[in-house]
Amino acid sequence: MKQKEYLHDTYLSERWLQFCAGDKTAFGDLVDHNFTSLYHYGTRFSPDKGLIKDCIQDLFLEIWEKREKLDHIISIKPYLFQSLRNNLIARLKKQSRFSNLSADEEQVSNDSTPELKWITDETEALNNSRLVNGIELLPKRQREALYLKYYEDLSHEEIAAVMGLQRQAVANYLHYGIQKLREYWKYKTILLAMIIDFML
Amino acid sequence: MNNYNNFEVKDWIDHPGFRKWVYRGEQDSFWVSVLENTPSQTENIEQAIDILRMVRGELDNISDEELASRKSKLLGYISQEGQVRSWWRGRWFQAAAILLLTLGFGGYYWKHFTKTPYNAVLSRLENTTIIEVINNNEKVKLVTLPDGSSVILKKNARISYPDEFSADKREVVMQGEAFFEVQKNPDKPFFIYSGEMLTKVTGTSFSIKANATEKQVQLVVKTGVVEISVNNAVNKTKTNQLTLNPNQLVTLNRENNQFEKRNVTEPVLINLPIESQYFTFKKTPVKDVFKALELAYGVNINFDMQVTSKCNITARLGDEPIREKLEMICEVLNARFEMKNNTISVYSNGCEK
Repeated sequence: MKQKEYLHDTYLSERWLQFCAGDKTAFGDLVDHNFTSLYHYGTRFSPDKGLIKDCIQDLFLEIWEKREKLDHIISIKPYLFQSLRNNLIARLKKQSRFSNLSADEEQVSNDSTPELKWITDETEALNNSRLVNGIELLPKRQREALYLKYYEDLSHEEIAAVMGLQRQAVANYLHYGIQKLREYWKYKTILLAMIIDFML
Repeated sequence: MNNYNNFEVKDWIDHPGFRKWVYRGEQDSFWVSVLENTPSQTENIEQAIDILRMVRGELDNISDEELASRKSKLLGYISQEGQVRSWWRGRWFQAAAILLLTLGFGGYYWKHFTKTPYNAVLSRLENTTIIEVINNNEKVKLVTLPDGSSVILKKNARISYPDEFSADKREVVMQGEAFFEVQKNPDKPFFIYSGEMLTKVTGTSFSIKANATEKQVQLVVKTGVVEISVNNAVNKTKTNQLTLNPNQLVTLNRENNQFEKRNVTEPVLINLPIESQYFTFKKTPVKDVFKALELAYGVNINFDMQVTSKCNITARLGDEPIREKLEMICEVLNARFEMKNNTISVYSNGCEK
């Protein structure tokens, strides 16, 4: 199992180098391998499916244009995720009439930036149409970190790079995130038992 | 293997192999055997699975067709390098807007758990919204399909269907244990994809047991005729078909795709009252009729007990979906009903006698 994965990874980085050298079929493979997971990641930020797919499209064209300068990249997926994240947030910000703060100001605090506000608003709209789920009770960044860690299997360092955070911040997000979800789960189970009790 | 005995929820969540199983169905038989052999861990595992699913959230699937078309577009752009920047921005945006597919969030999960069938269906359902319903509760959950058919989901069962069926057929994908009452419509056959089994009916009732973790798919017919075959997407060479009549049970072995048919005295497969219930009422007070429907379908029926206290019902209701049953009852009661989610409100002026 481990062996196979390892081979798979080497194959992918080989294809990446071929892509950097201008191999179009390698570029096609790159699209094949990453489009869906990029899309799923993108849906964490916005319910606008067209916009997300558009951003991914942009991203691929962008990396094709600068392919020659990309051969130093080793962690391909985190690199793509990070780029999509930046593009998507920039795009969402441009769409927003209210946010005209500069990028520098954005860096000051992580939890009350216009970027986050935008993400919050967007996801809120999406969530209203869904069942209440424990994950929605968590701050968006915590959710994002959990998703990258557990669903996408990224390391703490990779998550830190993708989200522009310190490694310790990632560890905190993950720790409290799981803790909250466990609390929520217990609460839900008790509630469910009460409902069933009540019905009988 | 027994070192799992001391695992805590967090250990499960942190276990990469376990996550691969939960998210992508990898090493299924191994993890199923872990589950079976460490009963002390059942609750921890359940909690871990729940939490991992919360972390993943709902994922919107991209069909293979869309992916292929996006890839070829991209390859098209890069081979015309130079003018790339100038024209794709405008044109692509429009194309993307038209192509926009809204597929059910469960798509990804399905793709990995049922391997191919989900795709087989999706490919023909472009431009429709796929709705997925999962029953996470102990209590059964009624799903009313766009054609009026009733599906009763047991715990952990799930079904995906388009918001509108195509013109010539009705198709759904399901997993887990469920009871179906299919609206009669010979012109528009009804197909159910459940793992490796493909079921075709026009209007009948039956139960299906298709759990992702089991080596077999089972179906038992309550009324009508049911046609089943091995899903071709899985096994292209063999076409294995079978016709079933009431009280016949079929087991499909997922490993060798062989069917085994046998007769049963009662069409009970998933232990739901409705499997063996025939809804025959003879001067039955209305509240008891509603009680029976509530139990069978897992719905709530609101009605004025005082006003309808004198109403009795004599009827033989069969395998029609709940909507039709209610229509018949309301006909007798001189009433009308409204159905919102799984709550039904019956408005009656009472019965004179």
